[in-house]
Amino acid sequence: MVLTHTTNHTYAHPFPTVTLAFFLRYCSPQLNPFASHVLSTDTIDSHIDPSTGRLHTTRIHLKKSRMPPAVMKLLPTTLTGGTTSQASYILETSVVDMREGWMSTESRNLNFVGVLSVVERQMYSIPKTKTLDNTEVETKVVFKSRLGERLRDKLSHQNLSATAQEGGFFARLGARGIQRSIETLASTKTQDQLGKSREGMKMILERLRQTGIIGVLELRRAARERSMSA
Amino acid sequence: MSQSLAPECNELKERYDTCFLKWYSEKYLRGISTSDNNECATMFKEYNVCLKRALKERGIDKLLDEAREDFKENDATLLGKKKCK
Repeated sequence: MVLTHTTNHTYAHPFPTVTLAFFLRYCSPQLNPFASHVLSTDTIDSHIDPSTGRLHTTRIHLKKSRMPPAVMKLLPTTLTGGTTSQASYILETSVVDMREGWMSTESRNLNFVGVLSVVERQMYSIPKTKTLDNTEVETKVVFKSRLGERLRDKLSHQNLSATAQEGGFFARLGARGIQRSIETLASTKTQDQLGKSREGMKMILERLRQTGIIGVLELRRAARERSMSA
Repeated sequence: MSQSLAPECNELKERYDTCFLKWYSEKYLRGISTSDNNECATMFKEYNVCLKRALKERGIDKLLDEAREDFKENDATLLGKKKCK
């Protein structure tokens, strides 16, 4: 079962600035109040491919669970560990090609993949009309719930046919129904979240327009010092 | 940037992030340095040693390995061939 969601958006900012905002989007809450659910951000790899000049970056973000509470409630505690508010690790890979003028990004959850895997892909580019003041972005999110597959694996391994006959959790609700519900709930939540993530990008872009990168770095440093002395 | 997932790496991360953002905005985006980003390499190395240890302690390195296995399978079946540009 797979659910796909695609949206297009145009930022009224030049392409290089938008790519910088992408890297800055989870900096301090002072710069992006829409990123308060992001607990940490780390770079695990960053290198330039010498043959293409493309910058490849891999980062890992820790976010307060993107899994809607409604989804968590649907699941048996054996899968969720009995909690409804866990944090999830997100792996983000990005490639920037300054010469050709595009940036492609991909984010996916690292935990809960057995329940729901969410893959978000974005392609940022200079508009075909060569309007250099604008940047286009296509966002494609693929939701896939693998709950049923996991259960089938388990059944075949452990021969739990008795559970199925008695009408266990999945038998009653139907694995397909659950998969679809999880995908739909997650998709609705994501559409909401996409709006917020765009708002966050816009705030950073506006700040970059006003003060440039040095201003942003300065603000970041000041915010950090405040939080450390608090 | 926000915090590192490991508080003990915060300082090293901060130094690297600042270096990276400066290099990215002042050089890479302007096409000045498109073959390497060596100037932040030492800082990255130090930060990476700290981070790798933290990833291991928290079992995230295993999640990463599992995810890489999973990608292959998923990418092949539902996303088709990776976009090559």
